Amino acid sequence: MVRKLTRRDFMKGSAAGVLGATVALPTRQTTRSRVVLVRDENALDANSAFNGEVIQQMLDDAVMALFEENTPVDAFRRMVSANQTVGIKTNVWNYLPTPPELETAIKQRVLDVGVSEGRIAIDDRSVRNNPIFQNADSIINVRPLRTHYLSGVSGCMKNLIMFSDSQSKWHPNSCADLGLLVNLPEVSGRLRLHILSVLTPQYHGRGPHHFSRRYVWNYKGLLVGTDVVAVDAVALQLLMAKRTEVLGAARALPPVPIHIERADKVHGLGNSDMANIDLIKLGWQEDILI
Amino acid sequence: MIALLLLALNIGVRDVNVCGLSVPTEFGEWRAAEEESSYDRATLYDYMNGGAEVYLSFDYQRVCVRRFVDSDDNEIVLDVYDMGSSAEAFGVFSVSIEDPEVDIGQGSEFGAGLLKFWKGKYFVSVVNQGIDESADQMLLEIGRAVDEAIESTGPEPEMLQLLPPEGLNRRQSSYFHSNVILSNRFFIAAENLLQLSDETNCVFGEYGEMGSGGSVLIVEYPDAVKAVEAHSSFIRGYTPETDGSSPVQTENGNWTYSRITDRYVSIVLEAPTEERASALLSSIRFN
Repeated sequence: MVRKLTRRDFMKGSAAGVLGATVALPTRQTTRSRVVLVRDENALDANSAFNGEVIQQMLDDAVMALFEENTPVDAFRRMVSANQTVGIKTNVWNYLPTPPELETAIKQRVLDVGVSEGRIAIDDRSVRNNPIFQNADSIINVRPLRTHYLSGVSGCMKNLIMFSDSQSKWHPNSCADLGLLVNLPEVSGRLRLHILSVLTPQYHGRGPHHFSRRYVWNYKGLLVGTDVVAVDAVALQLLMAKRTEVLGAARALPPVPIHIERADKVHGLGNSDMANIDLIKLGWQEDILI
Repeated sequence: MIALLLLALNIGVRDVNVCGLSVPTEFGEWRAAEEESSYDRATLYDYMNGGAEVYLSFDYQRVCVRRFVDSDDNEIVLDVYDMGSSAEAFGVFSVSIEDPEVDIGQGSEFGAGLLKFWKGKYFVSVVNQGIDESADQMLLEIGRAVDEAIESTGPEPEMLQLLPPEGLNRRQSSYFHSNVILSNRFFIAAENLLQLSDETNCVFGEYGEMGSGGSVLIVEYPDAVKAVEAHSSFIRGYTPETDGSSPVQTENGNWTYSRITDRYVSIVLEAPTEERASALLSSIRFN
């Protein structure tokens, strides 16, 4: 049972899961989680255009490190096989969509494994009605990282909300139980990989659509893992580090991202404590923040 | 020359309808791109997903969306929100203000590709969707046109008058109803300790530079019984060291103090001294 989290917990530094600074509560996870952060300063050019070749290499490096394989295709074979149907769950939010270059990179490696073109789909808002997703053996979950007015963090857990018959039913209490989306029959047992695009993450929101280009920065990275809770937990660390740098320590925390901690401590779906996460950092180190 | 004359006479310049407001079809090289789309309380999620909760926590009626595009298909998006009353329009405007006033509507802010303002029962946003900052000035032209089209003004929420005026940063004063807004404005707890709902009215004000002189939250409940329940919940969850009769020093050295007055709960947060907490709370008047 997680106690009630208040502002005073953050003053004390005892909001363990959210802050990741201390471990005050037992976790149900017994195994450690691995998350790969890969960055390349050439992922975007001077005009902030995405470089598809570089992003492909970043993805390849990340999955090879994650699965300890020597080639990206071997790494992808750990997730999918040639006779499977594969859904790539993306995000089309028009202010900050998943970069098409990243979608293409993922699809290319699924094709390289031997999956036929007709058995691969990239979709977001119509996944529930998409026959490829309805029959998918494997789902790869990919989206950009940003803050969110209700849940604090829009990460890989929240990206699964389109598989639900109702989005609003997940919203109460700051989207506290978003982690349970992984148990939906549409995705349960099929989620193979979670990829957060931190190429251009958004660390603070404003205005009607909670978007401002002022708060998007060229971090030029990808966060990749198989534990969705761990991927989102690392992402929260990154957002907090950037917010501390720009907005100050008092505004380090985006509004109440309690769903990450609850996914671990209440639902036992993965690791939210950084102490239980092996973060592997590859590539460009400048201004890495975490 | 003829075109300028026609413009001066307002001849040949067609208007488009946005929530019943007449707005020019063209602004410089930007043209209205399509038919207006609108979303009511039942369909707002189709437009903005989680952000919808912000508007639905107010007396939101509908939003009308009109897109303007240039020759390169860059987009400026005009949203006109009918909030039902001027108090509600002020409220949704007031929950987050970061940029300077630009004298549009009854209150505005403009910066980084976003213009927001409120006037009468309308809250309006104009967003530059692209990264070309040169388009930002066009947001002001569109905003001024919408401002002109809105004929009537309206009052701010009366409840704002409850905030003690001395030292108050008026531009950062907020009016709202729900815990979703409070958590974004000033996080108190993950749980809804104050039992906020669409039946509660709240004002929040900051004092001194960046709230260095403390902050005040006042909540109006439907009746005194609900106020007592909520105040007890707050005391149990946030300041359990006290029964509410004295200020509490929190872990960062600042002070919290609360009291109940009929159907109102008043809370001073983050006051720098015990004396300041007491003085600020005492300066809240309900007559």
